[in-house]
Amino acid sequence: MRARSVLSALVSLFALTVVACGGSAGSSGGSQTGQDLVIGVPMSITGVQAKEGGLAKQGYDLWLDWINAQGGVNANGTKHKVVLKYEDDQSKPDISAQLTTKLITQDKAQLLLGPYGSATTASDAVVAEKNGIPMVEANGAAQAIFNNGYKYTFGVLSPANKYLEGVIDMAATLNPKPSTMAMLSADDSFSLEVAKAAQEYATSKGFNVVYTDRYPNGSTNLSGLVANAKAKNPDMVLNSGHLAEAVAINKAAKDLRLEAKLYAYSVGPSTPDFVNSLGPDSHYVYGGSQWTPQVKYKPSFYLSVPDYVAAYKKKYATSDDPDYHVAESTAACLALQKAIENAGSVKPDKVRDALASLDVITFFGRIKFDSRGINTYKPMVVEQIQTDGKHHTVFPPDVADAKPQYPTPAWSSR
Amino acid sequence: MTLLVQQLVLGLLIGGVYVAVAIGFSLVWGVLNIVNLAHGGLVIIGAYLTWLLFSAFNVDPFLSIPIVAAALFVIGYVVQRLLINRVIRAPIFFTLLLTFGVNLVIINVLLLLFKSDFRSVTPSYSGSGLSLGGVQLPYIRVAGLAVALLLAGAVALFLARSRIGGAIQAVGADRDAAQLVGVDLRHVYALTFGIGAACAGVAGGLISTAQAITPSAGEPYTLQAFVVVILGGLGRVSATVVGGLLFGVVETLAQTMVPGLGAGWANAIAFAILVVVLAVRPRGLMGRPV
Repeated sequence: MRARSVLSALVSLFALTVVACGGSAGSSGGSQTGQDLVIGVPMSITGVQAKEGGLAKQGYDLWLDWINAQGGVNANGTKHKVVLKYEDDQSKPDISAQLTTKLITQDKAQLLLGPYGSATTASDAVVAEKNGIPMVEANGAAQAIFNNGYKYTFGVLSPANKYLEGVIDMAATLNPKPSTMAMLSADDSFSLEVAKAAQEYATSKGFNVVYTDRYPNGSTNLSGLVANAKAKNPDMVLNSGHLAEAVAINKAAKDLRLEAKLYAYSVGPSTPDFVNSLGPDSHYVYGGSQWTPQVKYKPSFYLSVPDYVAAYKKKYATSDDPDYHVAESTAACLALQKAIENAGSVKPDKVRDALASLDVITFFGRIKFDSRGINTYKPMVVEQIQTDGKHHTVFPPDVADAKPQYPTPAWSSR
Repeated sequence: MTLLVQQLVLGLLIGGVYVAVAIGFSLVWGVLNIVNLAHGGLVIIGAYLTWLLFSAFNVDPFLSIPIVAAALFVIGYVVQRLLINRVIRAPIFFTLLLTFGVNLVIINVLLLLFKSDFRSVTPSYSGSGLSLGGVQLPYIRVAGLAVALLLAGAVALFLARSRIGGAIQAVGADRDAAQLVGVDLRHVYALTFGIGAACAGVAGGLISTAQAITPSAGEPYTLQAFVVVILGGLGRVSATVVGGLLFGVVETLAQTMVPGLGAGWANAIAFAILVVVLAVRPRGLMGRPV
């Protein structure tokens, strides 16, 4: 007992000396260097979402390099080097929650960045809340995460109900204005949430929803539903589902000569797979996206959009543009950084309060959280695959790089 | 009325794909007494080969059918000879386990080779078709149905007329008796499995033009082949044709003609009909008496 207290006294003495030395060294350089800031990150390094998880990690690491090159994140004149402590949650919500607890209790993470996916984010949010550690997440868009009254979870991305709203807003500006709409949806909860919101929003904007139906997740034979939709002769065909179903619907629409003025699919068109699978038949199709490399936001700090794209290509030695998963993940880091700077502190509670009142423009768009902690202030942008075979951002007009190619010509005259 | 006719046509067209998928499955089940859980995997190998020929050498998906079928025949022959033959007389559980494992190997090899990106074969004439009084007949799908029926006819003719076909049928009827009269069992087994795989390859070629494929896209087709064979009845090619077309029509009508229920009920209705058929005619609609 006695030996132990002597030892601990010695250790504290040693620690004091180190801190004192560190302090004096720092003060001679103008701004002080504080302790390293440990940010915990549970992430899908393996498992079913390993590909998307890898993209999210790229986004986090891109910011990590940048901020540490600046000497760290600046809290009231003291610069803290940032350490991102990753744990592989295998894309499983229960494991993700356990690892989040470990990151907070053992690794002493003061702040958290979110995992990949709505399910893991929802389970990690519970842990963040219980421990009073703020988590900024970029890859969980289901509103369910934000309807529990949590105070410590913040999402920088537009929520699920916004996915097709941009398309409908855009449709209202087109000439000749479309008036009728068919809405198909896969039957998973995320797709249904997107579809329900799109239907309600379209109705409120004066569109007439003439056909709706849902199909089992992963269906590849959707010709029957498309034939039903065709019988109603809709001006717009919207789908809320996944890539395989978007391809099936587009093929069936051509097979059955469903002639709509506008085709828009929640997920699918933004990926290269969609264009590769369909070739020229993918032209004119619209899709919602969290972000595109063409957007023209004027950021108040960090990099501009072209610089961000260039930095990405340089770090990862690729000619591909960064995916929106990468961009939104970097945006989560920026929200944390700005909140720390505004709070002038890295203390979890101070950072949380600063996050709640944050309002900045970044390369990813505006970041401002509503009372539930989700970023409802950033619009989804609308992309279109145009006749040059490339993706163009067509809405909202202030960030667009091209005008919508509208109306979609008849299949026979393409 | 036009819509109903259109839905019937669509049902028959998708039924053609089910026929193509189920012919090989039925043959292997009937002769080797193996429920081949790797059948969907073989179908997707066929789809990837078609895609590869199309994207790399611009070979038309219908022209590549013989090449793909030949390649799949070789794969099927070798897999049977080296692997499946070891459990040919084992209890059904072992054959299920082995073919399940083969399926996993196929999926993961395809993942290594092609990643999980979506692929599809979209030739220039894709989506063009004939319009008859408001009913659309997409050429590629009609051609798919024709190929499926031709395939069924060819397999039926081969089994009925050729010497090897006779041997295959003999083995299916009674393998010990067939062996006694001088049939080389191992060769016939491997041939049958090879033909089954070749049929799967043809089906894969058709599927690659109709949908986007990934390495695991074959799994639903194993189940569908199973249902079609039970619905039609085991042991006759014509039974598979009837079962496949019927399943396609029932599925499409259930998907679209029941207002308000949504397509989610299509499978439930199709399987309910399967249960009814099994209760009334346990050997399937056209199954032979045992």
